[in-house]
Amino acid sequence: MSDWIIILIKIICALVWFLVIALYLTWVERKESAVIQDRIGANRANIWKFRVIGLFQPFADAIKMLFKEDFTPRFSRKFLHNLAPFVSFFFVAITVSAIPFGDVLRIGGREIKLQIVDFNVSLLFVMAMLSLGIYGIILAGWSSNNRYTLLGGMRGAAQLISYEVALGLSLIGLIMVYPSLKLSAIVHYQGELLWGWIPKWGVFLQPLGLLIFFFAALAETKRVPFDLPEGENEIVGFFTEYSGLKWGLFMFTDFMEVLIIACLLTTLFFGGWQVPWLYADGFHFPWGGQWLLPHGIVVAFQVLAFNLKVFFFCWLQVLIRWTYPRFRYDQVMDLGWKLLVPLSLINIAGTAILLSLLG
Amino acid sequence: MIKALGNFIAIIKGSLLTTRHFMVNMWFHTLKLLRIKTKRKGAVTIQYPEEKREIASRHRSLHRLLKRDDGKPRCVACMLCVTVCPSECIFVEATEDPDPEIQKSPSSFIIDLSRCCFCGFCVEACPEDAIRMDTGQIEFAEYTRDRLIYDLEKLTE
Amino acid sequence: MAKIYIDERELEVAEGTTILKAAESAGLQIPHLCYHKAFIPEGSCRMCLVEIEGLPKLELACSTQVRDGMKITTTSESVVEARKGVLECLLAEHPIDCPICDKAGECKLQDYYDEYGLFDSEFDENKEKRQKRIEIGKNLLHDQERCVLCRRCVRFLGEVTKTHELGVFQRGVRAEVSIYDGILVDNNYSGNLAEICPVGAITDKDFRFKARTWFLQSRESICPLCSRGCNIYVESHQGFSRFSLPKRVYRIRTRENQMINGFWICDKGRYDYAYLDQERLDEIRMRNSQGSVTWPEITSHIAGEIGRLYHMKRAAHIGLILQTWLTNEEFFLLDKIFRNDVNIDKISFLDPAEEASDDFLLTSERTPNKRGAKELGFDLQPADWKKFFEDVDLLFVFASPIQDGLDVGPLKEALEKIDTKILFATHNHEINSSFDIVLPMSLIAEKGGSLTNIVGSVQNFSPALDAPGECRPAWQFFIELAKKLAINFDFYNQFSSMDDVREMMKKENPFFREVH
Repeated sequence: MSDWIIILIKIICALVWFLVIALYLTWVERKESAVIQDRIGANRANIWKFRVIGLFQPFADAIKMLFKEDFTPRFSRKFLHNLAPFVSFFFVAITVSAIPFGDVLRIGGREIKLQIVDFNVSLLFVMAMLSLGIYGIILAGWSSNNRYTLLGGMRGAAQLISYEVALGLSLIGLIMVYPSLKLSAIVHYQGELLWGWIPKWGVFLQPLGLLIFFFAALAETKRVPFDLPEGENEIVGFFTEYSGLKWGLFMFTDFMEVLIIACLLTTLFFGGWQVPWLYADGFHFPWGGQWLLPHGIVVAFQVLAFNLKVFFFCWLQVLIRWTYPRFRYDQVMDLGWKLLVPLSLINIAGTAILLSLLG
Repeated sequence: MIKALGNFIAIIKGSLLTTRHFMVNMWFHTLKLLRIKTKRKGAVTIQYPEEKREIASRHRSLHRLLKRDDGKPRCVACMLCVTVCPSECIFVEATEDPDPEIQKSPSSFIIDLSRCCFCGFCVEACPEDAIRMDTGQIEFAEYTRDRLIYDLEKLTE
Repeated sequence: MAKIYIDERELEVAEGTTILKAAESAGLQIPHLCYHKAFIPEGSCRMCLVEIEGLPKLELACSTQVRDGMKITTTSESVVEARKGVLECLLAEHPIDCPICDKAGECKLQDYYDEYGLFDSEFDENKEKRQKRIEIGKNLLHDQERCVLCRRCVRFLGEVTKTHELGVFQRGVRAEVSIYDGILVDNNYSGNLAEICPVGAITDKDFRFKARTWFLQSRESICPLCSRGCNIYVESHQGFSRFSLPKRVYRIRTRENQMINGFWICDKGRYDYAYLDQERLDEIRMRNSQGSVTWPEITSHIAGEIGRLYHMKRAAHIGLILQTWLTNEEFFLLDKIFRNDVNIDKISFLDPAEEASDDFLLTSERTPNKRGAKELGFDLQPADWKKFFEDVDLLFVFASPIQDGLDVGPLKEALEKIDTKILFATHNHEINSSFDIVLPMSLIAEKGGSLTNIVGSVQNFSPALDAPGECRPAWQFFIELAKKLAINFDFYNQFSSMDDVREMMKKENPFFREVH
């Protein structure tokens, strides 16, 4: 019984965390772009004249979208048209169940994993769910029954499937290094030390894999350098026929994808919740010193470390979105098929050779 | 290969540029948040309705018709502004003025601001210095077009 | 013939011609204010000074006659200097209030000021204050400040109308044009004064402050208000894109034609132009019809009515009442269609009553084309109305703008008994409601054609205004009607424009071959 309650609490906590951070990513996006461009950014939304540097902006946006007309074109496939944004949203939101936020929390003799479900194949699960998100795009493009949205949907599908290949292949090297498909196990492996002092993070063991994964993941988010499925202000794309909250759901999905990519980057390549030299009982520095900490503090450190890493990658992705111009479609395909896929194959081969040489 | 490397470096340089902007501006924003006065600001934004940019002395803003000492408009309805107006937004109707020294005065003087392009030719053409665009008023947007049609009364205010 | 040289250009002119006329015949403009072609040169403005080789001083071009071998310079330095001097003296008293002056835009002094003027006067003294608004005639105002004492007005009243209402009073700097003892200029040609004034000293009350001259579009036409056929310019305002104007025509100006009217028109022709804009009929009205009727529909309908009677050999029951406001070509077509083809003889004229003429231009006939109708063989004598209205089933009435004479007793009574009554009108009038079909017609100023004046001069003219609404020139309707009637289709099918009709008319009737 209490297991169920714990699971429920975990789901609620994770979802709230996930949605709130994704919501505020919209604010981060506005503000960060403003700061990059010597502007101030959205700062007018207020509650009783309290502006608080525009922190109410996401709520204003949400309210606006709620009250906008939810328009369904007469010529669309109504059911699928309505379904599409939810499909997109659902498959991204569900990935959060496999993300480990920390190690284990011991309360009253009970060990609680700071992860909703610890699958055996959680990495595959995450990849599968992210891939299923494509259906949302194709459905939106097709069910709108508009040639341009269909083309946008097709562009989106082609792009996402292309990069899916590089994304998957880039992780094979990683799985070879950390012999598990379980995200919690991969994080645990990253807690070990290399030559006694460097943490065994993916970034050190799989630098090329990281690069490929990062690029491919950026393409998966469909954001600016890769926003060919739908460039909101120039390219007619798959959610052209959407308005109001359903449109908002698509936009929100983008931000959730950013967050998930940041989580995956953290988990797979930057040690997840690991803090260098922090063990279950405290810090053990390579030069011999140690700083023992109670269990609660250690868990807090781990969760904090995970969050900080995630925030950094969110920031980085927003920075990239506001730095680079859009690729041409042939460039997108070139980059995916002619650069990232061969590189990931080289990465696999290289990793295999190195592993076999090192025994 | 070298070209590709160059491209890659350019990509990195680009992101470093935006990062620098972000860091520098964020630094000044943070200082401002901490109430530390600095010469430089984090943003060049002018917060419009509260802060206003000073209008240049030759800025062409809303028209006004100048008045004589006795309050009558200085305009003599010579229609040179009507003639010169490139957007045909001025309409003047002349009438006989009781004062034989003035003779001609406008019975109606209408500027259709929805059509006006603020070129200032009417001001240049006016032989009596009766029309000027120096009110400094730039906020006269309206909800309906007919409220943008300014008549003699509105222009002499 | 004398051979002269003006600005090194060789000219052959008749002995006794003045230098100014000789220069103008060669296309050279010599500035002048007081000189007017209609009058004996006076030489009071001194603007036309030219240099003549061999003469110590500059001479007046307007009054010096040419001699064989004369060498004249109109643009030499001394001439320009002299003009500047003369202009400076004229402007010493002229207020240069062009912004409020109605003459601005067509003012000679303004042109010369622009060309030669000292824009900053060298006089320290203030300009003399004079009266700016003196009433000198029923339609005229005089501004003594603007007057340059060219005496054109005084000469006009002396030489043309011989009424001598104006004179120059006082001497020297106090000289001024004025009326005698408050007796206003009151003759039928007073409007010409405002037009011949080279500056804005005499202004027309009718046109005063109504429009600036440069907005007006001048188009040639012929005055239809009497049978003199004076040549005029109809000046209309094209309006502004955003603001509508109350009327189209702002004034009527004379057009020189030495054969007909010289340089002048009468006040009736000048001021009675309100009919061009007021109360115009601009849509087809048909009794008992739902919605609007188009021209082709109504033409078919009328052709059907005529055809019905024609084929039943009842053409004698068609009546035609005309007023001589139609052009020669239209009378020609009427003659062909109704007298030749349909063969009706009930045609009568109901012109407005004749009024007093004056002994100059205004004639007693108040319609423009009586003579033309006569030349085309129409009998202008009013019919015996009682006999006329017997057995009329279909009546056509072509009304003049004023529709005078139409509401007289016999017609109004007779109308009630007639089956179908069709009126061709230009204006709204109470009698219009007595007709079954009222068709809007273009006025003389809105169509082309030719008119024959009282002495038999045929004058061509072209449209000066655009026809309002559904108005159409009658000749266009006649051609369409004749084609629909199809009694003599081939004859009418060759007419596609006014000129075709005119050529045919000239071919058939030698009277119209000579056009003035």
